[in-house]
Amino acid sequence: MPIDRRGFLRVGALAVLPALGGRLGQDTTAAAPLYQPDLAGRPRERVTDYQNDPFIIGIERRLRCTCGCNLDIYTCRTTDFTCTYSPALHRELVDLVEQHLSADEVVAAFVAKYGQQSLMAPPKEGFNWAGYLLPGVAITLVGSVLGWVLLRRARAPVAVGDAAVTGVLSTDDEARLRTELDKLES
Amino acid sequence: MTILGQLALWLALLLSAWGAVVGYLGGRRGDPALIQSARRTTYALMGLLTVASLALVVALLKNDFNVTYVASYSSRNLPTAYKLSAFYGGQAGSLLFWAWVLTLFAAAAQWVTGRRYAYLLPYVAAVTSVVTLFFVSVTLFGANPFERLDFTPMDGRGLNPQLQNPGMVIHPPMLYLGYVSITIPFAFAVAALLSRRLDVGWLHAIRKWTLLSWVFLSVGITLGMWWAYVELGWGGYWAWDPVENASFLPWLTMTAFLHSVMIQEKRGMLKRWNVILVGFSFALSIFGTFITRSGIISSVHSFAQSPVGTFFAWFLLLGGVFMAWLTWSRWDLLQTEARLESALSREASFFFNNLLLVGMAFSVLWGTVFPMISELVRGTQVTVGPPFFNQVNIPIGLALLALTGIGPLIAWRKASPGHLRRQFLAPVGVALVVGAVLAARGMSDAYALLALVLAAFVTATIGLEFWRGVGARHRLHGEHYALAFARLVGRNRRRYGGYIVHLGIVTYFVGFTGAAFKTELEASLKPGESVTMQSPYGEALTFTHLGVSQYEALNRFVSAASVEIQRDGERIGILTSEKRQHVDSFGRASFEPSTEAAIKSDLREDLYVVYAGSVDGTEEAVYKFTINPLVMWVWLGGAILVLGGMVTMWPGGGPTDRAAQRALEGYRTQLAATETAAS
Amino acid sequence: MLELLAGVVVAVAALALVLEPLVRQPGVEGLGVPDDFDATPLEESESPKVQALLALKEIEFDRATGKLSDEDYAQLKSRYGRDALAAMETEAQQSAVVAGADDPAEALIQAVRQDLQVCPACGPRPETGATFCSECGRPLAVPVS
Repeated sequence: MPIDRRGFLRVGALAVLPALGGRLGQDTTAAAPLYQPDLAGRPRERVTDYQNDPFIIGIERRLRCTCGCNLDIYTCRTTDFTCTYSPALHRELVDLVEQHLSADEVVAAFVAKYGQQSLMAPPKEGFNWAGYLLPGVAITLVGSVLGWVLLRRARAPVAVGDAAVTGVLSTDDEARLRTELDKLES
Repeated sequence: MTILGQLALWLALLLSAWGAVVGYLGGRRGDPALIQSARRTTYALMGLLTVASLALVVALLKNDFNVTYVASYSSRNLPTAYKLSAFYGGQAGSLLFWAWVLTLFAAAAQWVTGRRYAYLLPYVAAVTSVVTLFFVSVTLFGANPFERLDFTPMDGRGLNPQLQNPGMVIHPPMLYLGYVSITIPFAFAVAALLSRRLDVGWLHAIRKWTLLSWVFLSVGITLGMWWAYVELGWGGYWAWDPVENASFLPWLTMTAFLHSVMIQEKRGMLKRWNVILVGFSFALSIFGTFITRSGIISSVHSFAQSPVGTFFAWFLLLGGVFMAWLTWSRWDLLQTEARLESALSREASFFFNNLLLVGMAFSVLWGTVFPMISELVRGTQVTVGPPFFNQVNIPIGLALLALTGIGPLIAWRKASPGHLRRQFLAPVGVALVVGAVLAARGMSDAYALLALVLAAFVTATIGLEFWRGVGARHRLHGEHYALAFARLVGRNRRRYGGYIVHLGIVTYFVGFTGAAFKTELEASLKPGESVTMQSPYGEALTFTHLGVSQYEALNRFVSAASVEIQRDGERIGILTSEKRQHVDSFGRASFEPSTEAAIKSDLREDLYVVYAGSVDGTEEAVYKFTINPLVMWVWLGGAILVLGGMVTMWPGGGPTDRAAQRALEGYRTQLAATETAAS
Repeated sequence: MLELLAGVVVAVAALALVLEPLVRQPGVEGLGVPDDFDATPLEESESPKVQALLALKEIEFDRATGKLSDEDYAQLKSRYGRDALAAMETEAQQSAVVAGADDPAEALIQAVRQDLQVCPACGPRPETGATFCSECGRPLAVPVS
């Protein structure tokens, strides 16, 4: 749709007035309409208290949005404002909470409906423990072996070195080394 | 221009095959003609791919929409800077970009490498030619940016709005410079293996390359974080997305390589490990390029479907087999020269540093592929999101941070436990004081507290290192403190530049802890209405909605919502977040509307405002406000890291250079004297 | 048409660049970057003597910064001191012997330069065919005339 510059200027001027009016006149009814409401993104609804409820957000962070964004429901609905899935999932979740379900029960209900994929992290059970523990176990294991090998390998040469090498250098040799070192420094 | 581009690519295909053969034979036989031809091939390839790249850029700038690539990623009203960035905005273009950057690096490697490593260069040319051959063939046969349509559209589809951001103009090239430049260390490793000259020479030859590519990778990743932060609008910078993980993996292995190289240089140990590490880094950079470009995330099936995917899979497979064979056949030549003097030494600490870095790489890779494994083993699809990665990787990251502090305090070769204990007194004291102060001020998050305590510890050890180093020079050489400091850093750039890099890493970690205290709020506000949030520092932040204005700009229609912000009743500024509806040159809407967050940053916290949309088409706006503590420290960490990298890489200045100049003078004098005597 | 012409020019230029060495058959001097002066940083020196001396330097510095205890210092110092002395002996002997001309390129360079070896620190050296300076152990430079 074409937008002419005059219209745009008019809108710019209009935009300032309600802002002032809102502040001075305590306008409590409705805000002024936008000039091009269709171009201001998907229409939004008023924010409800549920949307900021830490309990609900806590559950939403454990569940994945089904739109394919790979984000959790909370992040998706507060980030991707073109997504229609996450607001719907939010409402669904609020309904469950209103039925006085606990957080785990809500999550269980979602898993029952959308499958285990709807969890942001795999549940800690069965095979999934491999997912959680393998890296840590591998690092600890290799680390212990490494530590053991280092201790064992390192000790021997030191003992040999003590017997064979630890003698004080003669003053003559010391002096030669000193000259060489000074040359290196220049 | 597409004919010229195509022609250049075909010639590059031919010449890269030539370079591979001639380079190998030249290295094998030592025939000067072949060696010279191989070297020239890298220069010719650079020229050809520059021509091909220019051809695509010209097509983009001239709005030649008959070219499929131009029609898909550009449009008439796209600002020129973004037309240029459309060059690497799509798959076909980015592959061409990769190849182009590779030829630049390959030619540079031939050009700048000193004569004493000349025995490696023909093989290096062969390896870079093979990699070029691969990328040119993918570009020609898998995703050709010079293909034309049967008709000419009036306008192109335009560039994805999320890519229309300054961060996105520089982030991909930086990351690509990082990915691509790993090819050079890899090529030298292969050259060393092929030539059977497996002493420390090849490591010396690539010293600066390794560091340079590591710095590019770091900067690329950090810019990616910055882009995600300012553009994607969720107020975070890292989500353990497969694409992000793919860039993190080579970074981890290259970081391990940077450290283990020092063991080989100093002690002749870990030769096999270094070859393997650089091989894996290269493979991961190819893998990362592929993941980033193809959009293939977690499914094996789509990997096989795309022709580009097949190319990459085969390349990785054949390359892996070749590397395995090559390393195996030279296994005996890679024998270690020295033994560890003591289990308590800097060397030993580097072993553990490598273990943790590679362990972390494994853990990230494991998490990324776990959905596929789960599907194979159990037939159940699972999601592996940030909660998983955080649980597994934060402990490893903190262990690494601790080691960053412990390592530098241990002497090379040998240290005694009693002596070490005294070394640790001061830094541990500093860390404990910082911990006590933070805990007393009510910091409750355990990981964040631990991270900050460790950060204080590492900072203290680094400070101590500089302090003691200056003191030692002062005593040993009787230098004034300022001179001692300058010489300390100037003559040990690698060590002290490295410490600065460590300081940068510490700064990143400080930034990361802020994420634990992120505070978010959604609100719908009519003009004049306000909402107040409690910041993690205990201050009241009030956001007052001023209004929404709408206007046209460049290639988009903007709806801009502004809030005024007060901190504890004091006005600190106005932030304006935008909804952008991009339009084509006929005023028709293109793409979904995008959102531009408004950010006010300082060292304490970022105020992050997002205009989510309007209620009932009125000026009543829905906002998301986020208080993001310490985010700026992440970017600061990046800057310190680059500074440290530059200190380390800064050329010359050592005692040898001036002496070398003197010697050259003396040589010329004598030469002149000989000539005079002769005549 | 113009584009095709440009393509032909590019192709001819590229092929000429690559094939010219095969036609001309360059000698050894055609190889390598004619870098004016190839100054090897000390740490990259392959001389065992320099490496041992650098290790000694580091041990001294580590003691001065308080990282090495006195016992460890004494032990390490005597070991690397011996290494350095041994390396000094070997290199002194080597510099007396003229290096064999097993590599034709080296032989050519030797022939051209004769006794004009030059050390980055000590200036022109009297010994022929040496790789390292017998004074300070730095690798001898290879200036390009």
